[in-house]
Amino acid sequence: MGSRGKRGMANPNPDPVNRLRGARLLLIVGMIPVVVVVVGGLGSTILQSIGLMPLVGPVRLSVDAYVSTAPALLSSIGTSLWIAAASTAVAIVLGATTAFVVVSGGRLGRIVGAIGAVTVSVPHLIGAATMGLLLADSGVLPRLLGIDATAWPALVAGPWWVAVIAEYAWKESAFIALVVAGTLLTRVAQFDEPAAMLGASRGARLRMVFLPLAAPALIVSATIVFIYTLGSYEVAWLLGRTYPEPLAVMAIRLFNDVSLSSRTESAAIAVLTVAISLAAVAVAAVAMRRSAVWR
Amino acid sequence: MTSAIALRQITKRFIDHRPPALSGVNLDVLPGTCTALLGPSGSGKSTILRIIAGLEDPSGGRILLGGRDITDVLPEKRNVGLVFQRPLLFPHLSVIDNVAFADRAAGQTRRQARDRARPYLDMVQLGDLGDRGVGSLSGGQEQRVAIARALAAQPTILLLDEPFSALDATLRHEMHELLLRIRRELSPTILMVTHDRDEATVVADRIAVLENGQLLQHDTVDRVYHRPASLDVARLMGGENVVSGVVRGGVHHSGLGAVPVDESAEEGPGALVFRHESAGLIPGHASPAPAGALHATVVAVIRSGLRQRATVRVGTELLQVEVPGTMTVTAGDAVTIILPEQILWVVAT
Amino acid sequence: MLAVLLIVWFALPLVPLALWAFADRWSFPSAIPTVWGVDGLDAAIAAGGPAASGRSFLLGLTVALIATPIGALAARGLVAGWAPLPKILPVLLFAPVAIPPFAAVLGTNVLLLRAHVPPMLGLVVVLVAAAVPYTTFMLRTAYAAHDVGFEEEARTLGASAGQVLWRVHLPLMAPALARAAFLAFLVGWSDYLVTLIVGGGQFVTLPMITASLAAGIGNDSVVAVLSLTAVLPPLILLVLLARTGSHRRP
Repeated sequence: MGSRGKRGMANPNPDPVNRLRGARLLLIVGMIPVVVVVVGGLGSTILQSIGLMPLVGPVRLSVDAYVSTAPALLSSIGTSLWIAAASTAVAIVLGATTAFVVVSGGRLGRIVGAIGAVTVSVPHLIGAATMGLLLADSGVLPRLLGIDATAWPALVAGPWWVAVIAEYAWKESAFIALVVAGTLLTRVAQFDEPAAMLGASRGARLRMVFLPLAAPALIVSATIVFIYTLGSYEVAWLLGRTYPEPLAVMAIRLFNDVSLSSRTESAAIAVLTVAISLAAVAVAAVAMRRSAVWR
Repeated sequence: MTSAIALRQITKRFIDHRPPALSGVNLDVLPGTCTALLGPSGSGKSTILRIIAGLEDPSGGRILLGGRDITDVLPEKRNVGLVFQRPLLFPHLSVIDNVAFADRAAGQTRRQARDRARPYLDMVQLGDLGDRGVGSLSGGQEQRVAIARALAAQPTILLLDEPFSALDATLRHEMHELLLRIRRELSPTILMVTHDRDEATVVADRIAVLENGQLLQHDTVDRVYHRPASLDVARLMGGENVVSGVVRGGVHHSGLGAVPVDESAEEGPGALVFRHESAGLIPGHASPAPAGALHATVVAVIRSGLRQRATVRVGTELLQVEVPGTMTVTAGDAVTIILPEQILWVVAT
Repeated sequence: MLAVLLIVWFALPLVPLALWAFADRWSFPSAIPTVWGVDGLDAAIAAGGPAASGRSFLLGLTVALIATPIGALAARGLVAGWAPLPKILPVLLFAPVAIPPFAAVLGTNVLLLRAHVPPMLGLVVVLVAAAVPYTTFMLRTAYAAHDVGFEEEARTLGASAGQVLWRVHLPLMAPALARAAFLAFLVGWSDYLVTLIVGGGQFVTLPMITASLAAGIGNDSVVAVLSLTAVLPPLILLVLLARTGSHRRP
């Protein structure tokens, strides 16, 4: 009876502190997946890589996994860094240009923005499949250009990983454009007119207004792209060559390998890749501090 | 003399707009003068500035700057200065580098551009704030820098798009003084958009009155106030007194009685207009009434600051008269209203 | 000119899909398919394309339904200042994009297996974690621009907290929430590696059958059909999103 009476007179304006407590609690529950993946996943990878979490057998601290993979690892790191650096560089240039064209407005600018948004929504694996159809030596591009298969360079599974880089650059330039244009559309567009009125040409406006203002968003999105391309698996697996292997391809192959030591080696590669990624984040943080002259 | 700015039959239609934003606007601004574009919001006054600046393309008509047709020239090639309502200072540049922007864009070194920018910063009295970031400036300072930045580009004409409307009354007053000083020192050709009649009177030589995309009148400040081309202009300029009647033989006949008017007044139906600020009011019924005086009765008085506005009845008409705050008038008082012939104007109806 | 080049850059890789999807035979070096037809479509259906698409859609939807509210809570908490650990939380929230996906997946997989978490649950947990940075980022911008005044006004007009949420807050935030949900959907819809490793191969999605066929030879036509199937649903959602966005814009 008592409790029902109380409910009947429910406070129309419940204590805001209690409401906040509820929201906080919900948020903490919601963070569980992130904590599992970031703290749990990363932690268990590190533990595995130093032998403290073996699949079977005794727990024994060792750096064997790092030592045993070292020879192949160097060329893998080189390969992955090349793919990531080249993809990110192309994506930055094309992404920033795209964002500039979109922010400058006009009908063509809107079309570029729309087709860029479509590109972002294409799954990477699908992008890899279609890049394969486009760039292979019997692909659509040599057909359109009328170049014979024998004369066509080995873009797919070739020495320079061109098809892989092209796929990443394609998707990620659209991603960078979306982030940069999205965060800047209103804020930068308003400075375009005063700059034009002061006699700055399109090129001067890009160099003197757009790029400095876009720098923070550009740095953040480029870092995300670099880390993603450094550790992405399916595109390099589908369009790349079998040796040398990029880090992700090598790690997944070892992970699925039947030999017992390969799981620890796979974890060691993962740890090293994370270390390179964190170094990239650190570089980006320094660059951010230098460029963050405005907020 | 060649007009610094000449608009010829400028028309602008927006896709989602039924009536055109501008229809057949012709406007000439002489070098070294300041013209205020006055009109209610949506009248198309900002669109005129944006078309002159090249930020909008006209749907029809030509724009000439100093006699040269620039209708198809890119905005950055027009050498036109535009100060917006918001200062829009570049947030990644210091104050001095904002002012130096035009020279930097033209390819000068940072040092050259800064050296050339300094006098302009001095002119707006912010010479010692050059190294500051723009985030640390107050609203008035920001707009000063925006003006210095536009002037440093040495434009052939300066367009001001309600540049002071976001500032409070005191700052606005200071900015008017600054603008007058700039006019004295550099005598640029200025076209300024405003919706503030007083501002137009203070800084401009001429006023162009705009409504619904049409230029109603372009004339000296005094004539636009006292000799409106139409009742619309009279209304837009804040004219309170409009008395309809008929002109016969240089005399306007209306509910006020017979009032002699200027010889130029057209014969036939016409509305007598005069400014409530220009009419005089004296207590009591002066008798005999002097020339241009009419007996009236006070209907209502509204105070506004140190002034007061009296509504008086003359015959069958109600008129507005501005009265000094020191004068005591109350509803029901018998007064005499003085309407000298030179303040009267007849608009044919 | 620049804009046209960019349009070519973004559109060109999609051209093979449109052509190959309806090519029964396309012998080299012909610039267009030699025999048009729907063999690719038949093969895609035979390969389990419809069911795999359904699973992918379900996965995307699940991730969106979980990651969007989490992102909204985190974004609002960070903007309003009531989020716990305000220094650490953003780092944690955005960490998934700073860690290469395979590195996170390998460790998490071992952890989930040891904890006897069912593969399907594990799959959703990992994908939600991958989606939360995007939903939070999207919604943080929206909440930063959101005027609480509307909600305060509604309260003073007599609306309860729940009514304010349903009638004022959600309608105002709907465009941003929809965009955030779209990004989260894409994470589930596009995923290949997490489904492969954490899902343990039991949950066959569209990218998975596309990958296995693309890795083979002579499947160009069926790969194109499956790829088109993977491209179209996000495209439709994108169009819907653009339309609601333009309607709601104040």
